[in-house]
Amino acid sequence: MQPGNSGKNMMEQENQDWPVQAEETEINQQPTSDSYQVKLEFFEGPLDLLLFLIRKKKIDINDIPMAVITRDYLDYLEKKDQINLDREAEFLFIASLLIYIKSQMLLPREQETITEDDPRQTLVDRLLEFQKIKVASSLLREKEEVELQRWRRAFLPPLEKPDELELLQVSLFDLAETFFLIMKRKERENLRVIKGKDVSVEEKLREIIDYLGKNGSMDFLDYFSSQDSLEEALVSFFCLLELVKNHLVVAIQEELFQTIRVWLRKDKAPHQVHGPSHE
Amino acid sequence: MNDQLKAILEVFIFLSQEPLTINKMKEVLGEVPEEELQASLAALLADFNQENHGIQIVQSGGGYLFTTKPEHDQWVRRWLQIEKKTRLSTAALETLSIIAYHQPITQAEVSAIRGVDSTYSIKNLLQKKLIKIVGRKKAPGNPLVYRTSEKFLEYFGLNSLDDLPKEEEIAKILEEEKQTIS
Repeated sequence: MQPGNSGKNMMEQENQDWPVQAEETEINQQPTSDSYQVKLEFFEGPLDLLLFLIRKKKIDINDIPMAVITRDYLDYLEKKDQINLDREAEFLFIASLLIYIKSQMLLPREQETITEDDPRQTLVDRLLEFQKIKVASSLLREKEEVELQRWRRAFLPPLEKPDELELLQVSLFDLAETFFLIMKRKERENLRVIKGKDVSVEEKLREIIDYLGKNGSMDFLDYFSSQDSLEEALVSFFCLLELVKNHLVVAIQEELFQTIRVWLRKDKAPHQVHGPSHE
Repeated sequence: MNDQLKAILEVFIFLSQEPLTINKMKEVLGEVPEEELQASLAALLADFNQENHGIQIVQSGGGYLFTTKPEHDQWVRRWLQIEKKTRLSTAALETLSIIAYHQPITQAEVSAIRGVDSTYSIKNLLQKKLIKIVGRKKAPGNPLVYRTSEKFLEYFGLNSLDDLPKEEEIAKILEEEKQTIS
């Protein structure tokens, strides 16, 4: 949808609103019977297309002639020579839903007296909801348009705050999630007497850096599990956070609950390591 | 005293990196009678929102902030040598609307309403910090639950979620469209 359109006159501007492509680009090729065609790519999704067809035919959304709309819908799909499953699976899903609903309506029912739900109802509810969202979107679009023209000062002298950007890159939420998961595992194993050994963050930092220097990268889950005590494992996790914060390592977790891979940053030499900041 | 307080508030809004809330003002000012604060703030707003200023104070994202006026947009862009700010894509805006009106909500629920897989849009919105993860749903798979962020309000110039276009407003527009069709 075009920006800045008032939601109120969405219908009057239908021709600009809906992605209509003139055939002008294909002058040299033989003209088709359609004066214009609408390409599937321009629709945000199958519901978008369905809503477009309903409007075009001026159909009451609460009483959709299933046969007509299904045929129209399938016509659009058939314009494609090939089906790109990644994108069009969702379109096909709604197509099968349309056909299913039509078949439900055709089937004779044993007891007509029982007031069955209209098989179209779920679809209608979805369309109505989607329609609302589209209007809400267009209203928000207007607000966005105004706000983008109101400029604010974005820069100020930096406050004394730790830079959290590096952490967010890994997604703090996911990192913490994994941490607690491993903590639980560790707790279960760690029922014996805890050894009276003090682990300092400095030592651990150095150990991790050395390990990374030697091996290139680290599987943090393995490393964490190989620690002797819960305390030591905890300290190693804090060290990881510390290293990420100081931009000394890169930590990447590909998927939730999977291991965190840690690399040394190429631009930082290991000797630059200092102890943890005291915060 | 009143004039002085007004000037101090102006300083605070100027210094603040995000919309300045009344609570923050109180926190920094310490003991100031509520009435006096409100009166000074109102006077400050009135001062600034006169025609002859290029800068205005707007209430957005739950607080107050200085912005330029929309009519000077082209001058700002000429100064910064920027063409036009990028807008959200239709897909992102649709996803954001759904989250705004149905929060807290999971990715699967958003996708169901749109009829389109919304993983990418959600990732995009998270990156822009317009939405945030607020936890996990106690449902199979423990899916993440999303809400709109403070930045969302600020981005659209809303003071709170109550400022979102109302259900009745949307219904009215749909009704008008319906009449245009028939």
